[in-house]
Amino acid sequence: MNTAVRNLRVLRRMTAAEIAQQSVYRGAWIIFMLANICVPIISLLIWRTALANGAQLPIDEQYVTTYFVLLGFVTMATSSWMAPFLANDIRLGKLSSWMIRPASLLVRWVSNNLSEKFLKLFALVPMIGIVWWTFRDSMNIPASPGRWLLFLVSIVFGAILVFTIDLLIAALAFWMDDVSALVQARVIIASVLSGAVVPLALMPEWSRGFVDHQPFRYTVSFPVEIVAGDLSGHDLVAGLGIQLGYVVVAGVIARLVWAAGIRAYSAVGA
Amino acid sequence: MNTFAAERRPLDRSWWHLQWRHVQLWRRFLAQAVVRETHYRAHFLTTLLVGLVQLGLGIVPTLLLFGFTTEVHGWSRAEAIALVGAFQIVTGLMATFIAPNLNRMTTYLTEGELDVVLLRPVSSQFYLTLRWINVAELSNVASGIVVLVIGLTQAGIAPGPGQVVKAVVLAGCGLVLLTAAWSAMSFLAFWLQSVNPIGAVYLNLVEAGRYPLAFFPVAVRTFLTFAFPVAFATTFPVQALSGDLGWSPVALGVGLAIVALVLIRLLWRRGLRTYASASS
Repeated sequence: MNTAVRNLRVLRRMTAAEIAQQSVYRGAWIIFMLANICVPIISLLIWRTALANGAQLPIDEQYVTTYFVLLGFVTMATSSWMAPFLANDIRLGKLSSWMIRPASLLVRWVSNNLSEKFLKLFALVPMIGIVWWTFRDSMNIPASPGRWLLFLVSIVFGAILVFTIDLLIAALAFWMDDVSALVQARVIIASVLSGAVVPLALMPEWSRGFVDHQPFRYTVSFPVEIVAGDLSGHDLVAGLGIQLGYVVVAGVIARLVWAAGIRAYSAVGA
Repeated sequence: MNTFAAERRPLDRSWWHLQWRHVQLWRRFLAQAVVRETHYRAHFLTTLLVGLVQLGLGIVPTLLLFGFTTEVHGWSRAEAIALVGAFQIVTGLMATFIAPNLNRMTTYLTEGELDVVLLRPVSSQFYLTLRWINVAELSNVASGIVVLVIGLTQAGIAPGPGQVVKAVVLAGCGLVLLTAAWSAMSFLAFWLQSVNPIGAVYLNLVEAGRYPLAFFPVAVRTFLTFAFPVAFATTFPVQALSGDLGWSPVALGVGLAIVALVLIRLLWRRGLRTYASASS
């Protein structure tokens, strides 16, 4: 049996097991998702007030509303939270026991990521539905199913990209004692550059060239723009191309860094 | 030298003296936290740096918003910046004195640590809410004061002593009210066992305090004044400083703070009765 098939089988089993385990805390997921949509709703109300008050924004009410309603979903779907935990696994030597198992420790974290998102989906989708219904008059819903398909594809790319960036930061634990400050810095910087706090379309003119092409745009903002914005066919293709490019580049770097880290790894307590 | 065998004055059991003993105890907690902080200087530095980045990026939405308009519902850019400063001060104080405690609530209950607290000759609610202090977070209070002063200067506001008193009293009420709201959420642990996600809800809801109350629809304003009273912590103090606030909101704030304290006390007692120890 080749490696890919074996890893996929392990992943499927582990994801199923994690789902069973995590569904014990289903109440906690509901509360977490409630927290998750607070900030998008606050931002939505603020920017609608600004628009109603006559602010000259480069985007209209429909864009703003659709953007923030979908934002909570996309940030959840593309999120990754493993860096502090994986860094601990490396630092405290938990990685050692995984090195003699038939699957990588990373498979475990992929399954953790997938299973938690699967459970969060059940809590989050009804909440987004309620917000959507509340603002249904100013929602911008593209008619073509093609856009929604691209939206989903782009979310998958975004999720892989965030996971890889997270992995890169955690892998620094092979050489550093404490990566928690880096993790925090990543979260704070990404929240602004990914468009999770303010739509990137509202960034000032002088920053356009940088903001539109930096990797964090492709983790949250770009998928939302596919539905909320008025990206032309050309923008769509170019955007997906750049996104895929970032996924591949980050993936290759992560592969190299992880391999180098494993070589540098000396187990604690072994 | 005094030993435990030596003759001591009998314990003064009056109500006032009881409060005084708790104040003295809290001073010990503070002194211990300061000493502890000096052992972890790198922690102080990273908290400071992360706090500054957070402040810088937290001001971005406000700056962007006022790039498209000069005033929103009577708030100018400078006043909105002062508000971000006030927000930073209040969240810094909460992170210093309250957060390290309420974040432990789940552990206290699920690991049975509460047993040890209940045995101590001290109010258990006081101990649980104020025992741990994260001194490093005070650096955020300092940077918040700087931003507040910059905002006020830009807005050309020079508050008189009366206005400062009003603002400080209102912010104090805001702190008490936020503590009560967060405590109430945490004390749900008595019934829910795990309340870690509730801390996340608090942290996200409090973000609303970054913006003036007037920026929200009326229904949301009522929620942010009475149910989750972040308005008392940020909007009202800044309004008091800029001078367009009478004494009635101050009276309302003090009244609400007292009601909140009584309610949280009752909730604690109610919860404690359902507590059946995790160990033994």
